[in-house]
Amino acid sequence: MGNNEYVVQMQGITKVYPNGVAANQGVDFHVKRGEIHALMGENGAGKSTLMKMLFGLEQPTEGEIIVNGEVVSLTSPTVAISKGIGMVHQHFMLVPSLTVAENMVLGMEPKKGVFIDYKKAVQITEEYAKKYNLHVDPNAKIIDIPVGMKQKVEILKALVRGAKILILDEPTAVLTTQETAELFKELVSLKEQGYTIIFISHKLKEIKQITDRLTIMRGGKSMGVYETAGITEQDISRLMVGRDVILTVEKEKAQPTDVVLKVRDLEYTDSWNRKMLDKLSFSVRKGEILGIAGVEGNGQRELVEMLFHLNTPDAGSVTVNGKNILGMPQRKIRELGVSLIPEDRMVYGIAASGTIEENMISDRFDKKKFNKGMLFNMNAIHKESNELIADYKVLCKSYKQEIGMLSGGNIQKVVVAREFSSDPKLIIADQPTRGIDVGATEFIRKKLVELSREGAAVLLVSADLNEVMELSDSLVVFYNGNIAAYFEDTSVLNDEIMGEYMLGLKRQSDEEIRRVCHE
Amino acid sequence: MNNRRMFMFEIIRGAAAILVALIVAMVFIFICSDKPFEALRYMLVAPLITNGSISMNSIYTILAAMTPIIFTGLAVCVMFSSNQFNLGGEGCVMLGGFVAALVGIYWSTGTYLDIVIAVLVASAACAAVLYIPAVLKVKLGASEMVSSLMMNYIIMYVVLHFLNHVFADGSKGSVQTFPFAATAKIPQLVAGGSKLTWGFLIALLFTLLVALFMYRMRWGYSIRMIGINENFAKYSGMKVGAVIILSQVIGGFLSGMGGAIEVLGRYETFLWRDLPGHGWTGITVAILAKNNPIFIPVAAFFISYLNRGCTLMATYCDVPSEMVDIIQAVIFLFFAAEKFLAKYRQKLVVAGAKEEIAQKTASTPKAEGGEA
Amino acid sequence: MFEQIITMVFQTDFAFSIFRITAPILFAALAAVVAEKAGVVNIGLEGIMLICGLFGTLFSFWTQSWFIGVLGAIVVGILLALMIGFFALKLHTDIILAGIAVNTMSAGGTIFLLYLFTGERGNTASLTSSNILIPTIKIPGLHQIPILGDIFSGHAVLTYVAFLLVFLIWVLLYKTSIGLQIRAVGENAHAAESVGVSVIKIQYIALAISGILCGMGGAFMSMYYSQSWNTGLVAGRGFIALAAQAMGRGEPVGTMFSSLLFGFAQALRTKVSGVQGVSSNLISAMPYLVTIIGLVLYAASTMKKVKKIKNKDK
Repeated sequence: MGNNEYVVQMQGITKVYPNGVAANQGVDFHVKRGEIHALMGENGAGKSTLMKMLFGLEQPTEGEIIVNGEVVSLTSPTVAISKGIGMVHQHFMLVPSLTVAENMVLGMEPKKGVFIDYKKAVQITEEYAKKYNLHVDPNAKIIDIPVGMKQKVEILKALVRGAKILILDEPTAVLTTQETAELFKELVSLKEQGYTIIFISHKLKEIKQITDRLTIMRGGKSMGVYETAGITEQDISRLMVGRDVILTVEKEKAQPTDVVLKVRDLEYTDSWNRKMLDKLSFSVRKGEILGIAGVEGNGQRELVEMLFHLNTPDAGSVTVNGKNILGMPQRKIRELGVSLIPEDRMVYGIAASGTIEENMISDRFDKKKFNKGMLFNMNAIHKESNELIADYKVLCKSYKQEIGMLSGGNIQKVVVAREFSSDPKLIIADQPTRGIDVGATEFIRKKLVELSREGAAVLLVSADLNEVMELSDSLVVFYNGNIAAYFEDTSVLNDEIMGEYMLGLKRQSDEEIRRVCHE
Repeated sequence: MNNRRMFMFEIIRGAAAILVALIVAMVFIFICSDKPFEALRYMLVAPLITNGSISMNSIYTILAAMTPIIFTGLAVCVMFSSNQFNLGGEGCVMLGGFVAALVGIYWSTGTYLDIVIAVLVASAACAAVLYIPAVLKVKLGASEMVSSLMMNYIIMYVVLHFLNHVFADGSKGSVQTFPFAATAKIPQLVAGGSKLTWGFLIALLFTLLVALFMYRMRWGYSIRMIGINENFAKYSGMKVGAVIILSQVIGGFLSGMGGAIEVLGRYETFLWRDLPGHGWTGITVAILAKNNPIFIPVAAFFISYLNRGCTLMATYCDVPSEMVDIIQAVIFLFFAAEKFLAKYRQKLVVAGAKEEIAQKTASTPKAEGGEA
Repeated sequence: MFEQIITMVFQTDFAFSIFRITAPILFAALAAVVAEKAGVVNIGLEGIMLICGLFGTLFSFWTQSWFIGVLGAIVVGILLALMIGFFALKLHTDIILAGIAVNTMSAGGTIFLLYLFTGERGNTASLTSSNILIPTIKIPGLHQIPILGDIFSGHAVLTYVAFLLVFLIWVLLYKTSIGLQIRAVGENAHAAESVGVSVIKIQYIALAISGILCGMGGAFMSMYYSQSWNTGLVAGRGFIALAAQAMGRGEPVGTMFSSLLFGFAQALRTKVSGVQGVSSNLISAMPYLVTIIGLVLYAASTMKKVKKIKNKDK
């Protein structure tokens, strides 16, 4: 295998998940020996899927993987490890109560007789730490060490298992600036020692700083391979954040009136000690759709959790029509006319083994209309379900069907039907059309516009740029838990401008941003 | 996918589980019996038919044995539906029986109201008892499984304490209470010496009530939704903690009622010296009924029939009746095994999905974006 | 009355009996510790012990060797634990239900098997003779020392084994690679999987170890404690063991202390049952009550800790 140029060649990779989502479509991905290669793309672009296949966590539907010139079948991480591939996952794969040294040697423990040779484990850890200049404390428990050190342990874990190719999945997402700088030094030194590094990220500055080449993915396809030195940040952003098919939604101009949702100075630091919401303030008015665009992981999820009391902020206030809703039980929040289409419909949106009907009425089953004394008024409930199924064009045999057996699009239509039909004053739509078919997508988008024109305030969170730009009347861009830009009129926007704000190349002045508070 | 197809699958799966258990039983019978075929006949047929004609007495015995386990089965049904592994039913049966007996002895009104009062007081006491593990779980996150198991023993010893030291009828050779008032004794349903009482009808009535509760009332609906997906229930605005507690309080109430009716129906005094086991059988019954109240009597009948069959087999042949526990456990294990026949299920799902896709493509235009 | 109890408690035979009574609980509790560490709940301890107790007696009767009897019980314990594993890990039966099924099976199943193998009904009193019971050991030197000798010498071999196992299980969990993998699997199965540790294999191993321990516990009960096997042999010790494990926070040493607490309470019950004005029943209930209180305290303290961490973040 000596000196062939490419260490990894993934050719014509297609991956179709059992639910029918084609996450990768004919992707070619080639990595040269000894380079730092960035794999870029928005969430859902298919980069994680591609890397999971390279690490043996998923198997491709079509295509072949060649490692060191040899066609391989990577059926499990163990096989991938044996081929010299190591992966540092975004969520660390460490056992918190074990020490660094124990985590290092897990599954390949050095032994003295029947016992673990713990000294040897420490020695191995120290040896590798020294060799690769990755300083860790072998005797500390994982639970006690900072995030930056955890990541070093992860890298060392891969190295000690003989990895020559390291996949790093958004390694800087959890790191502070200093830790990132340190990591980059270490990565460069690894490269100098002949290691190949695949670096998943969407942070342009970092990519420019340390990678040699980069592959950009979008919508499950490769947008090409580029020399990092030969491509501008603007070009990357354009390739990454472009729109494939432009779906347009007909809508009249919004006539926003009173402020419904008022968020002020919201702050939240998560258990990884990352500031996910940083003095966030904005307002949503009756009759408008305010879109939140941004690369995922910039605080959108946390914001939505706070708005529905699925989590508690450290500081700040949230009011709906003047009433403070922080700490309120969900029942009360709903009574104020707040609806939520949750990001992950399977976690919050539905009870999968319940029927369609049971899922339709979960927010209103105790209303007078659906009860006759102690008993349910089954006729009213059936009528409601049938009406919603008809109104929202849910494709099913009957309301008695188990909801988990429906397709993603139809499940989402049930969620949307429930959330939209409760006469909402404020709709929070978090990734309302993720992973569902075009028909359902279009339908849900139209409904959303319709409701806003009828007077609902809509907060739309979406990683789908097309969606957020087409649907929103005005729009904010999230970056690092805060608003990087506010656009009162979305019609003047294009992908390029958006990309620059989303990826942190630009930020509006505080005064410009403050306008979203409508004070 | 197709509901009917899924239902058929469940039936086939249940039948397969029973078949496996019967094969196991047959192997044992062939090993230990000189006349295996006769033993088999006693086990499978004799509970219904003796000497060529249908034996009503035997059927009455089966129905009588169903009574307590219908109640405990229903109790488990309600508790497990909210995804709480509360195993306190066992203790509640004993406590319910004891409290009912005491009420029947000391608070007799001399009318048949005695039964109602005794049963209700007993049930309420048990509901109160299972409130404890439920609250500990909801407020503090303490495992309801461990604490309810402990409750069983606490109940047993406390009951024994009062039985031995406070309420024992000193004139009797064995430890038991004084007999309860005649008006507290649940009357027989049919004449003759059978133990089949009105309690059986009450059990059936409660099956209907619990089924109504679980599928036609808002609380039962909340219990089931919480059991399926607690996050979803919370997000939908349900009072998750309160409903979880409610489900276990109801579980205690039903178990206690089972114990009360069993004691007031079957005996004249309270004489249990140990946990009676109906609580555990209730778990088997609920598993066989797939946690659906309506199927509880069917499952209870099946278990009681099996018990009766094994008793008859033991009486007339050389196979001990206790074999029934092995059969029960095997059926239980396979019934609860999600992956049992999973490959077959997968085939059905795929077939259903294909059908659906075929229908969809026929009815709607292809919904996929063009090549970019 | 109180005085009477105090004098009893300070007698050596009382202290002796605590260890004797604790041993079977300790076996089962250690079984719970190992299973729980690997992330599997083995609630079938009760049933496994009862069945193992029977087979211990049977094997010793057939071979006229107490040692082979114990070995036989261990083998049966492993098989039963693996059966729970098969249903839970392979066929996805809820592991709590799988455990309950084993308990259900054990109650009548043992009587049936006893009859099947020997024709005896209900107990093995007629099969047992003193030469096939687990022998006791007088520890030379220690035995001669007053008080200490009376308390610590003269126990059955398996009593010593039980307490030795506290140490051995600790060594297993914390000093061997299999122990490391067991803890890793129980705490973060994904992490273990990502470095090529087979989660299912480790869980099978942990269950097998818990089977071994239950086997010894069952044998101890039928071949020493009760001198023969009967259906009421285990009498909830498997469940108490679960509580002892929870109260001992899943650690071998802590579990030993909580097991001793149960042993103390039971020994006390046996002692005071003759004392006028004391209810042995109520005293029997104490350990279970203590368990619930222990659980509550433990749960409350972990909850406080969680809140503290959250506050620290702020």
